[in-house]
Amino acid sequence: MTENQKPVLQEPPVNTKMPRSWRKETKPHRFCPGCGHGIALKALGEVVDELGILDRVLYGCDIGCSLLSWDFFNFDSIQTHHGRTIPVIVGAKRARPELIGIAYMGDGGGYAIGAQHLVNAAQRGEKITVILANNTLYAMTGGQMAPTTLPGQKTGTTPYGREVAKTGLPMLGPELVAAIAPEGSYVARATVGEYQQLKKYLQKALLNQMTGGGFSFVEVLSTCPTNWRTNAKQTWAFLQGEMPRYFKVGEFRSAEVPSGEGEK
Amino acid sequence: MPRVLEAYVGEYASGKSENAINRALRLVREGRRVRLADLDLVEPAYTLRPLKRTLEAQGLEVLAWETKELIGPGEAAITLKKEIVSTLAFPGDVIIDVGYGVEGRRLLNLIKGAFPPANGEEALRLIMVVNAARPLTSSLPLILAYLDEFGPVDGLINNTHLGEETTVELIQEGAVLVTAAARRVGCPVVATTAWRPYARQLGPVDRMGNPVWPIERFMSGAFW
Amino acid sequence: MKIASTQLSGEYEKVLRREQRSFMTGNEVVAWAALAAGADLMYGYPITPQNEIMHYWARLAPHFGRGFLQTEDELSAGFAMLGGALVGKKTFSATAGPGNILMQEPIAMAEMMQIPGVWIIQQRGGPSTATVIYSQQELRLTATGGNGEGLRIVYSTASHQELFEYTIKAFNTAWRYRFPTFVLGDGYQAKMREAVTLFRPENRGWELVPAEPILCPPGVPARDRDPVHLRNTFNLEEELYTRLMDQLAAYERIAPEVTEWEAEVPPGPEVLIIAHGIVARAARQAKESLNRQGRKVGYFRPVTVRPFPGQALREIVAASPNLRLLVAESAYGQLLAMVKAELYGFTNPVDSLLKPGVGITAEEIAAAVGRPEGGEAVS
Repeated sequence: MTENQKPVLQEPPVNTKMPRSWRKETKPHRFCPGCGHGIALKALGEVVDELGILDRVLYGCDIGCSLLSWDFFNFDSIQTHHGRTIPVIVGAKRARPELIGIAYMGDGGGYAIGAQHLVNAAQRGEKITVILANNTLYAMTGGQMAPTTLPGQKTGTTPYGREVAKTGLPMLGPELVAAIAPEGSYVARATVGEYQQLKKYLQKALLNQMTGGGFSFVEVLSTCPTNWRTNAKQTWAFLQGEMPRYFKVGEFRSAEVPSGEGEK
Repeated sequence: MPRVLEAYVGEYASGKSENAINRALRLVREGRRVRLADLDLVEPAYTLRPLKRTLEAQGLEVLAWETKELIGPGEAAITLKKEIVSTLAFPGDVIIDVGYGVEGRRLLNLIKGAFPPANGEEALRLIMVVNAARPLTSSLPLILAYLDEFGPVDGLINNTHLGEETTVELIQEGAVLVTAAARRVGCPVVATTAWRPYARQLGPVDRMGNPVWPIERFMSGAFW
Repeated sequence: MKIASTQLSGEYEKVLRREQRSFMTGNEVVAWAALAAGADLMYGYPITPQNEIMHYWARLAPHFGRGFLQTEDELSAGFAMLGGALVGKKTFSATAGPGNILMQEPIAMAEMMQIPGVWIIQQRGGPSTATVIYSQQELRLTATGGNGEGLRIVYSTASHQELFEYTIKAFNTAWRYRFPTFVLGDGYQAKMREAVTLFRPENRGWELVPAEPILCPPGVPARDRDPVHLRNTFNLEEELYTRLMDQLAAYERIAPEVTEWEAEVPPGPEVLIIAHGIVARAARQAKESLNRQGRKVGYFRPVTVRPFPGQALREIVAASPNLRLLVAESAYGQLLAMVKAELYGFTNPVDSLLKPGVGITAEEIAAAVGRPEGGEAVS
């Protein structure tokens, strides 16, 4: 992170037009200013538009801030329980394989309370797409430590900073999933700071499901200025500096890297 | 005098335990030394365990779990009593009650010397118990499919019944089916077994000429 | 000698259609009933004593074009059920004990969002892991578990024929009324063997309620129809209150239609035995043997333990002021509490035979009836 990089809010890396798959009636959306969810969901909306799959998407969102997207899109959606979005989408996809199942959640839902579902859905090669926003903490409940909280990072439940000796190192989700998912899986880590790459990864994750490839998982490094207590500049610095130092952005499993080597 | 070594196999709830117990007691009454071994892996404590004392009082050696030996059986652990593995080394007749459904012959791989027979005549015989009133063995094609999945057996027993609602005619219909199946796979029908009151009505042989063996009911004393 | 898979499928279909008596365990009966009811998918996790429901379903389902997934736990099984039901398929699961506890989370979501589903509960001993064998200790959990108002329908069966018929009925009830529906059995019923007649419900004129997609119905969203957006989170107390009061009213409205009970009461009864599930079988035997001895003993069995047939019970009690009640159950007062709540205001004495986690015989119930006058008043 260098001083001359510009904060994301000053120069949106995307066109300002709303994706067709966004539901205008529920905009402006309910996320905090500077929140990364809006960017991730914009990328998802544009990808759905480009793939022309609006009528086949079933979108599930978790508890935590992701639930605010329950009526975000023009496709059908359901807000589930904390950590349980993956099994709901798995159950629907198994029942109607022609649907395109998307499970959207945060790091608490995917890596803590619902970790068994992520692990087992990945291991079974469920033909769904899981998108997980990693903002290094529990946001909706007021900024507690998440599995992804960085060493030394202060949160509501780590007021003196995360102590690795007591609470371990941050969870590396894509690395975990890449290690266990069967052939044909797609696993990547994107960031809301690299919009075109984020879109590319989401597109590949959906295409992989559509072509029957298998489990598709994209972790998205995201921002939470509200709980980080950061201004735009500091937010950008954390997203582009601290986070990728620990969380490597890139593809971990894809047609190009089938064996699980990171791109970077 | 060669030892009798028999394993009772077949569909879940076909009457394997009942037949194994009755066979073992019949041998005891002939003055033979007999061991009854429980190879029910899934419900080990619930089949022979409650009957153990009753059977032992009749002179049978019973190799089955005792309540005090087990904690949380049935699901926490698939439990194989270690003595079962070497049960064929027992110096007498051995009747094995192979529990729980379509496991196939491979379950008997757990028993030392089961395949191939250790010494000539002393081969372990697999006896499949068939109750034609059980849905999965209720027609000739279904019995044949069941046998096909299970693998070769040395004999079939017709144990067709409906509990309280059994009729002699039902048992006879079972005998017809089981005999047809036995002919198709080329193994004998060892017997038709029936609860004593029905056996009396059936006479010494069933409609197909198979011997009729009366059996006592023990399993009503078991948990399940 | 190889039997072709297609021939095997035909043979299984015949088993279901031929209306002959079969000798079966209760768990098997449930698997066949789910096939007969048109269940599309079972999502399940192993736990004794319900395992053979999964075993037989997994074996038979491919021959009937149905699906099965063994999930990582009961949470996953329950939520996968909801996913399948939401997109228009009939889904079910079976569990017991600690699995029933985990299952309460998805059931709570089903309750809130009125997502249909059928759960088979084969009660085992509790609390905790306890025994894999038997109890009636999951009555309260099944009827009113979860963090809500117990908007469920629970059939408590007493025989294999009932297991078959009420499992089919449970699918109809769940998909007609969209309240989570249960068949409450137990380990004894699961493993017990008795004769039962399987049938295709259509052949008896039973209508099967079709499953409709709640999410992803036909049509392009935002073009042919509004997108369907579902949630179980509410912002304001008033919003939740309005929603719940509507649901409670709907539940109250359908309750009289779904409530079922059995009652046999001789004129001028001295004692009314109340029991549910398999204990009701013993209660009925006790009643009959006492009747033969000239005792005026009646019998009342809630078939739906939720909604509870309180009105029917109150009418019986109101008609016989000196009636003594005897509640028998393999739990420590779960049914008793329901009975007392329904009979608030009556002063009839209530006796109980409470044996948590163990079976109750007709002889024990008859002996309990024979006890001298006594028992505490209802209220």
